[in-house]
Amino acid sequence: MIEARDISVAIGGKRIVAHVDFTARPGEVSAIVGPNGSGKTTLLKALTGELPYTGTVTLNGCDLSAMKPIEAASLRAVLPQATALSFPFTVREIVRLGLIGGRSGVLPGEDTRLPERALARVDLDGFGARFYQELSGGEQQRVQLARVLCQVWAPVLEGRPRYLFLDEPVSSLDVKHQLIIMNIARDFAWRGGGVVAILHDLNLTAMYADRIFVLSGGQLAAAGAPVDVLNDELIEKVFGCRLKVGALPEGSMPFVLPQSAA
Amino acid sequence: MAEQSIAGAPRVMAAEGDRSARARAVIALLCLALTLSVFLSLTSGASDASAVRVIRDWFTGAVPADAALAARDQLIVYDIRMPRVLLGALIGAALAVCGAVMQGLFRNPLADPGLIGVSAGSSLGAVAIIVLDATWLAPVTLAFGTLALPLAAFFGGLAVTLLLYAIATRQGRTSVATMLLAGIAISALAMALTGVLIFMADDRQLRDLTFWQLGSLAGATWPKIGTVGPVIILAIAAMPFLSRGLNALALGEATAGHLGIPVQRLKYTAIVGVSAAVGASVAVSGGIGFIGIVVPHVLRLAIGPDNRYLLPASALLGASLLLIADAVARTIVAPAELPIGIVTAVAGAPFFLWILLRKRGVIDL
Repeated sequence: MIEARDISVAIGGKRIVAHVDFTARPGEVSAIVGPNGSGKTTLLKALTGELPYTGTVTLNGCDLSAMKPIEAASLRAVLPQATALSFPFTVREIVRLGLIGGRSGVLPGEDTRLPERALARVDLDGFGARFYQELSGGEQQRVQLARVLCQVWAPVLEGRPRYLFLDEPVSSLDVKHQLIIMNIARDFAWRGGGVVAILHDLNLTAMYADRIFVLSGGQLAAAGAPVDVLNDELIEKVFGCRLKVGALPEGSMPFVLPQSAA
Repeated sequence: MAEQSIAGAPRVMAAEGDRSARARAVIALLCLALTLSVFLSLTSGASDASAVRVIRDWFTGAVPADAALAARDQLIVYDIRMPRVLLGALIGAALAVCGAVMQGLFRNPLADPGLIGVSAGSSLGAVAIIVLDATWLAPVTLAFGTLALPLAAFFGGLAVTLLLYAIATRQGRTSVATMLLAGIAISALAMALTGVLIFMADDRQLRDLTFWQLGSLAGATWPKIGTVGPVIILAIAAMPFLSRGLNALALGEATAGHLGIPVQRLKYTAIVGVSAAVGASVAVSGGIGFIGIVVPHVLRLAIGPDNRYLLPASALLGASLLLIADAVARTIVAPAELPIGIVTAVAGAPFFLWILLRKRGVIDL
């Protein structure tokens, strides 16, 4: 379980996140949603120890601020929004970096083939020899996800659940790969791990999230199951536009929902 | 990119995009190259002394026919060439490895040890001794004799680096970007002070410091190796422990931390190690340019940017190249000697350009 109590983060004297409580349970996908600039990424960076914060964050009951980097790395992996490289690494060399901590959770010896398995998992079979910088933004994002998966390949290690932190994992992906990546996240949770993801697509959020945390102006506006949180009033209050949840477009206007995937 | 098959590489089917087998083959070749370079440096020079004969006599215990000639040869090989070869190998390795580490730390293929101010600080220290040795700094030269210059250069470099580190570190976090920018300012200041000293120098001192700035291994003696050798060896020996961390750092500081790397300790170790090794190198050999940028670059094109292989390969290639450059510097205008910095630049620059032109596609990535 990830438990965060009374988290506040200030950057350059300006408070970006104020007094947020957050809980992510193993076995669940927890989504963080909210408009641009509402503090989603800042909250995630506090939860992963990347930014200094006030309040407490615990991972499986242990205080995050007292953990060494290598201990935290064995409990959770983090996918940033985008990653730029300065040297010509091949895709395989990048994915292999996920094994640096040595706690992937597969049997000894299976590690050597793990980058290939992870690449196949994100639908990048055969991309190992390509240069990372030659790939499109969406492909790069999936390479990084493969690296992150290598780090915590087993969702549960030595009886303790592990966690994936995903900052907009699907924002640069086509719809097919959005579904593939979200299925990976849900599968990770089903097998006992926990997932914390920042999402923008409310339909995908409704479809995959077990719990939603809605941020607005750095504060928690709502938290709960999708069916309880996603309603007309909240969307108008938080996003500032009048949308009707569950309303169909008029007439013959086509629309495509991820929920219709076979 | 098509995999090139290299003779002697393991026949195990490597995974696509895994360049470690090729890297190991290249490292094996570089070991061979270093052995050949050492042999070449020991046997070539202004004198006709035969290193082969000296070594053979030493091994077989044979008594040479001409004792006086043998004694001269022994002196040349043991007391002049051997320390020079050892020092050249150490400095070449140090400059190349430090270049690779700086590039990994700053996440920039153009970074070199000069960025953390160590070169400017060393120059200031050395030039101060050359110009002021008879006046303000007379007590220093009196106390340390011929070691005064290397010591001043070493501590000058270290002082500037530690000052920059202090400027760039806030709340236990070192900002690499701040360090880079402050480095430009502090280096400019150090160079201005060096300029003042040059302005004060007389003709003899000007000649001395010009030659010092061009770099040379001519001053190599066993006592000097005893002074700077341990510093350089320690710093080089620490570098392999940085390789995993530097690999992770290629993804950014935050991601390196998430992967379990203690980033602040990595930065501190790299900066102090580099400034010690480069300070010690510059102290005894002056400014030898080019090795620190070219060697890691060429190797990255050959074996990729994985620091587990890049760092040892850089050490081997840097040592070999400097030995070969020094052999050329000693023989091409014999019995005089060309400053080695000229040789490394004249030979290195066109070669580097040629590599760049051939591999433009990869470099632009």
